[in-house]
Amino acid sequence: MNSESNSQLALCDVSVSFGGFVAVSGLDLAVDRGELRCLIGPNGAGKTTALDLICGKTRVSGGEIRFEGRPIHELKEYEIARAGIGRKFQVPSVFRELTVRENLQIGRSHHTGVFANLVRFGGSTDDNEVERLAELVGLSDALEMAAAHLSHGQTQWLEIALILAQDPALILMDEPTAGMTGQETHKTAELFNRLRGQHTLIVVEHDMGFVRDIAETISVMHQGKLLAEGTLDEVSSDQRVREAYLGSGGIGHA
Amino acid sequence: MNLTGKSAQQTLLYGAFCVAILLVPLFLDDAFLLNKYSRYLVFAMLAVALSLSWGYAGILNLGQATTFGLGSYCMAMALKLGTVPVHTGSDGLPDFMVWNNVTELPWFWAPFHSMAFALMAGILVPAAFAALLGWFMFRGRITGVYAAIITLAAMVVVNLVIIDQQRFTGGFNGITDLAQFEVAGLAFDAYSSSTYYLVAFCLSAVLLLSLAITRSKTGMILQAIRDQEDRVRFFGYDVALYKIFVFAVSAGIAGLAGMLYTIVMEFASPTFLGVPLSLSVVIWVAVGGRQSLLGAAIGALIVTGVQGALSESETFLESWMLIMGGLFVLVVLFLPKGIAGAFEMLAALFLRRSAAKVPSVSQPAGEAITHGEGAS
Ligand SMILES: Nc1ncnc2c1ncn2[C@@H]1O[C@H](COP(=O)(O)OP(=O)(O)OP(=O)(O)O)[C@@H](O)[C@H]1O
Ligand SMILES: [Mg+2]
Repeated sequence: MNSESNSQLALCDVSVSFGGFVAVSGLDLAVDRGELRCLIGPNGAGKTTALDLICGKTRVSGGEIRFEGRPIHELKEYEIARAGIGRKFQVPSVFRELTVRENLQIGRSHHTGVFANLVRFGGSTDDNEVERLAELVGLSDALEMAAAHLSHGQTQWLEIALILAQDPALILMDEPTAGMTGQETHKTAELFNRLRGQHTLIVVEHDMGFVRDIAETISVMHQGKLLAEGTLDEVSSDQRVREAYLGSGGIGHA
Repeated sequence: MNLTGKSAQQTLLYGAFCVAILLVPLFLDDAFLLNKYSRYLVFAMLAVALSLSWGYAGILNLGQATTFGLGSYCMAMALKLGTVPVHTGSDGLPDFMVWNNVTELPWFWAPFHSMAFALMAGILVPAAFAALLGWFMFRGRITGVYAAIITLAAMVVVNLVIIDQQRFTGGFNGITDLAQFEVAGLAFDAYSSSTYYLVAFCLSAVLLLSLAITRSKTGMILQAIRDQEDRVRFFGYDVALYKIFVFAVSAGIAGLAGMLYTIVMEFASPTFLGVPLSLSVVIWVAVGGRQSLLGAAIGALIVTGVQGALSESETFLESWMLIMGGLFVLVVLFLPKGIAGAFEMLAALFLRRSAAKVPSVSQPAGEAITHGEGAS
């Protein structure tokens, strides 16, 4: 396909099954550099699984994933991360026993070697960056607090900040606003709009208000396949999308 | 800047401990006791090794004694060759080889004529052994209980090999009748303050070095791995490599402890690679607090000290194992972070109380002074 050769990320005919159950089948997806792509779909559509395949958490059973022109679906997780892909998980996952500051320092993973890091004791450039990020997500006052003591929304933000510390070219966000208050969701939308252009973002989200605030192109998944792609108006008027969401009470309530 | 304050306090605490153990011989002129305390300090070093891998990286090594034993045999081989030709047969062979009809020194014994080689081997052989074992376990993503069982199994295998290869290892009897450890013209009599100083100095060095590792970014990443291994990979860190590293460092420290143990005990034996010792280390570290290097060291000193006292006293001759077991269960139930955790809790309580007193500074001066006098 022509579009795929120019895309930063391209999934071509990707499939995976878990013990016979096909979670993703023949998925094609192409995302351009600097784009903010929303990935939506009813529960169990395979959105999380698609992100798992991109970041190497799950191995493809068929098809190919290319990032910046190079196949990545056989690389190890840490190699994919080093290639420039960061991932925020659906269940917020930070290092609960470490402080917010320590979490952010781990996020800053420009140096990944054991021995390189053995002689690093939190230099001042690192500290400045860590403090800047903490401020960006409103955690400046919580820097010395163990991550276990953060609220759910704060934990989500911490994980987002971890990814920003990592500074990958492509960011995969799985339901970043789940469990956030309306106000927190709004702030997150603002943040994402600021990231637009600097990073490529793929955002899986159920909150259609949030999607409306940030969306350019929306890809809709259903039963492991790409069902429709286009602007919010285009996909929400698509007959097949309406049918797919029928069981779950419409696109806005999924 | 709260952080630097806290880490400065920690450094001070570690420094105080090192000074304290180094001062002991000034107040103690009993060769027998000094030897006993040297032994306890060696155990403390072994506990620090386990705290690094278990407490900081979450790798429960039930076979820590493997690397300890390898170190002790390296030292014993060198010291045994130091006795040649005193305890030796016709061809300058160690006595037990002569009894086993070995005619020529095995190739892997030969380099141990050099003490420098032995010192390096005593650290590098255990480290390499652990790195290899770690490579298989951590590349294969074996974690938790399974990793613990493999470390235990590996120890049993090494132990059996040593017992089985009697002709080269002395078998059940181990390697006995050793020369005195000598380096740069200094002789270290096991029953003297010189050996105590040697052990105390090495323990101090190991403690401070380990502290530096845990404070580096590598140390932080290890703690993140302990917390949530799967998350760390997605930042681009090669988790297996980090685990192999800490596993090997821990093994190197255990090897050093093993070498010192041979110097203190004046022999090496397959029991040094035994299950009882290995499990004891886990108990010391759990009691002391596995997430604190100093806590683990102090845990080893307390448990082995109490154990020594109980097993020597006539009233507890029968029951000391029961008492130790009971103490262990109590600590694990009520102090999940061990003695170090309890100490930290008390310190935090104390700090909070003194912080609560701060407002009194803003009181009129006279009142504050009378307040202070009343308190004292
Ligand atoms: N490891 C696994 N083993 C077996 N089945 C799995 C596994 N992971 C996902 N599945 C199944 O694959 C399907 C797709 O799951 P996935 O988590 O990708 O959906 P999703 O679109 O993210 O849904 P949601 O909106 O609920 O998060 C589901 O039916 C799920 O049960
Ligand atoms: Mg999902």
